[in-house]
Amino acid sequence: MYDVACETSQKDIRVSIYTVVWLLATSALAQNASLRNPHTTTADVAAGARIYRSHCADCHGMTGQGGKGPDLTTGVFFHGSSDAALLKNVSDGIEGTAMPGQFFSADQIWQVIAYVRTLATKGSAKPPEGNATRGGMLFASRGCANCHLVRGTGGVSGPDLSYIGSQRPTEQLRRAILEPNALVDPAYWQADIVLENGTPYRGVLLNEDTYYVQLLHPANGLLTLPKRDFRRYVVQKTSAMPSYQGKLQEAELQDLVAYLWSLQRPRRVE
Amino acid sequence: MRSLLLLLLAFTAWAQLTPERLLKSDAEPHNWTTYSGSYRGWRHSLLDQVNRTTVDKLKVAWVYQMPVTERIETTPLVVDGVMYLSEPPSNVVALDAATGRPYWRYRRSLPEKINVCCGQVNRGVAVVGDRVFIGTVDAHLVALHAKTGAVLWDVPVAEAKNGYSLTGAPLIVKDMVITGVAGGEYGIRGFLDAYDLKTGQRRWRFWTIPEPGQPGSQTWSGDAWKHGGGPTWVTGAYDPEQNLIIWGVGNPSPDWNGDVRPGDNLYSDSAIALDADTGKLKWHYQFVPHDVHDWDAVQVPVLVDGEWQGKPRKLVYWAHRGGFFYVLDRTTGEFLLGKAFATQTWNAGFTAQGRPIRKPNIDPSPEGTYLWPGVQGATNWYSPSYSPQTGLFYLTAWENKGLYRKGDAEYIPGNRFIGSVPEIDLPEEPGWGAIRALNPKTGERVWEHKMHTKPWSGVLTTAGKVLFGSTGGWISREKIAMESYFFALDAENGKELWRINLGGTMASNPMTYSVNGKQMIVMPAGSGIFAFSLP
Repeated sequence: MYDVACETSQKDIRVSIYTVVWLLATSALAQNASLRNPHTTTADVAAGARIYRSHCADCHGMTGQGGKGPDLTTGVFFHGSSDAALLKNVSDGIEGTAMPGQFFSADQIWQVIAYVRTLATKGSAKPPEGNATRGGMLFASRGCANCHLVRGTGGVSGPDLSYIGSQRPTEQLRRAILEPNALVDPAYWQADIVLENGTPYRGVLLNEDTYYVQLLHPANGLLTLPKRDFRRYVVQKTSAMPSYQGKLQEAELQDLVAYLWSLQRPRRVE
Repeated sequence: MRSLLLLLLAFTAWAQLTPERLLKSDAEPHNWTTYSGSYRGWRHSLLDQVNRTTVDKLKVAWVYQMPVTERIETTPLVVDGVMYLSEPPSNVVALDAATGRPYWRYRRSLPEKINVCCGQVNRGVAVVGDRVFIGTVDAHLVALHAKTGAVLWDVPVAEAKNGYSLTGAPLIVKDMVITGVAGGEYGIRGFLDAYDLKTGQRRWRFWTIPEPGQPGSQTWSGDAWKHGGGPTWVTGAYDPEQNLIIWGVGNPSPDWNGDVRPGDNLYSDSAIALDADTGKLKWHYQFVPHDVHDWDAVQVPVLVDGEWQGKPRKLVYWAHRGGFFYVLDRTTGEFLLGKAFATQTWNAGFTAQGRPIRKPNIDPSPEGTYLWPGVQGATNWYSPSYSPQTGLFYLTAWENKGLYRKGDAEYIPGNRFIGSVPEIDLPEEPGWGAIRALNPKTGERVWEHKMHTKPWSGVLTTAGKVLFGSTGGWISREKIAMESYFFALDAENGKELWRINLGGTMASNPMTYSVNGKQMIVMPAGSGIFAFSLP
């Protein structure tokens, strides 16, 4: 690349410095953290809820639990959590993602933001009771790490829990330990296959198309099996995880939940 | 010297793709000169080198990779060894059809903000004489020189900032270039335009939403017509004998909340037939009066001179997004047949005049209403095909239900004006797709080829009795993975003869041509144009 800087005169540099200062100033305005939502009354929240249900729930879920789009119950947003950032992202959409924009007037978008803020209170803002350090030891000793990865360590046949504290409210974490079948991530449904020659396979269903099923098999790893060879093929929408109901003391359960909650995604500096 | 000049002139005249040649596309099956391969909308080729016996020997002959990330929806055209195709968002490339090497590229500079509902896409160009035409996402129609890509003229068709865009391939009719518009999710007032292909001057405009006092305006109330939708974003057909342009019109705006637009909302969701010289309406048939499900009638009309109940008749075959296959009289628009080709739960039959009888409780609601088909329909804009050899009508069909929500809709220029965001892919019931062959005399299914996912591409049939189609829908369960097989089926019975995994989104239509004695089969996938031939 031709280096333009070689030909820059001192005057140009002065102009550039002014430009940088001006750009920083305007950028600060754009990111104005002091911009506050002017529409936060109960009526605003109700109006926002109506729009949310018709225009946002398809991707973010009726209660903000997420789906095609990210979970909104945590109060932390990947592309900025300030009112200013939310106004921009809901108004214009987010480039490079499926998040569209161009729906409503600014007043109505503020109402949606007011409603979305109410969803966040259901999240995991408050640390749960229990000792996270003890919970971490339980996680290692009671078999959890055999299937779950936490920040580079553990198995891969269950969901990656590296930032689960940012992704699930406390009650859900507790429930997932006691009733694994209550909320099964479809990404971990199990494929139960028997080939025409009698060979059985059971593993995490990764993909299916017209001709093949792909799975993560506990012993054989990644497999692609042709459907034409199947005698039996059932998708088990239940969890492969055993329930820990009755296997943990209440104090141990609280420690484990505290550990999982402590696995927070680092917050962005805004 | 003079004789040499005359010879050169004669050669130039021969080499030019004239409007007369477009009328006789059957005489030059080595070319693919319009979006659907002919004015009849058949997407059928008379080439037969690739046939049921040889098709399993197809190999990749070349690949042209576009330096873009947007979805490719183009159907390339081929004229005497040169391929002309659009690249998203609004670029044009000319390639050597034998090697895939580019001759030139037209790159359009676009404003930062483009108002398109569903991607900055383009479905193709039109070619005639020494000109190539493209509609752009900033709502211009541009004529380029076919040998260099130089801009000959560039006319604004509509105000892009108000949500108009051009995404469909234009159609050459006589000395005019016909173009539709997109923007049904932005509250546009739709139209179909004809431009002088030499000068770019507009010859006529047919508004798909009539203004007060015009015929059809009684199906609107208040000012709703001003933002009533009715886009025309898929290339229609032309009947030279009757001098009729037959085109599909899309959804009324706002899509999923019809409260602001009581009435039938003509000519949304309709087939329209216009006099090619004047743009005056000759007939129309509305598939869905007062649509609240976004079931556009933007499909390719298939024109067949066939038999209807024992008598010869000029017909239109039409597989509509709402899940029905229709047969219409091409002279009058009379409804002759409406037969479901996929699961549907909205229609309880038709009146004698062909008006659909709506089932109760099918409208979108705040809490959501489940209905078959889903928002993307039982078919969509991708092309069907008709083979005169088998006498069958082929289409890509979806078996899917959707959850239709109803919310607020306020018209703000340049903003979406839709009324909700319905749930398209239900996690527990993602739906599936199929290639289906129908007997157009009855609408009955003759065969089907099932797919695990819902495909986004159309079909091509050839005189080799082969049908080309593809998967390419999103895999279920939010896996964000696609299946992307391009395949060949026996057009008589649907048996799979060949397939290849192309590994990228296929949201386009296959086409075929011949160069240097070799039949080429073309399918866009991912960012590439894949051309296949026999070794």
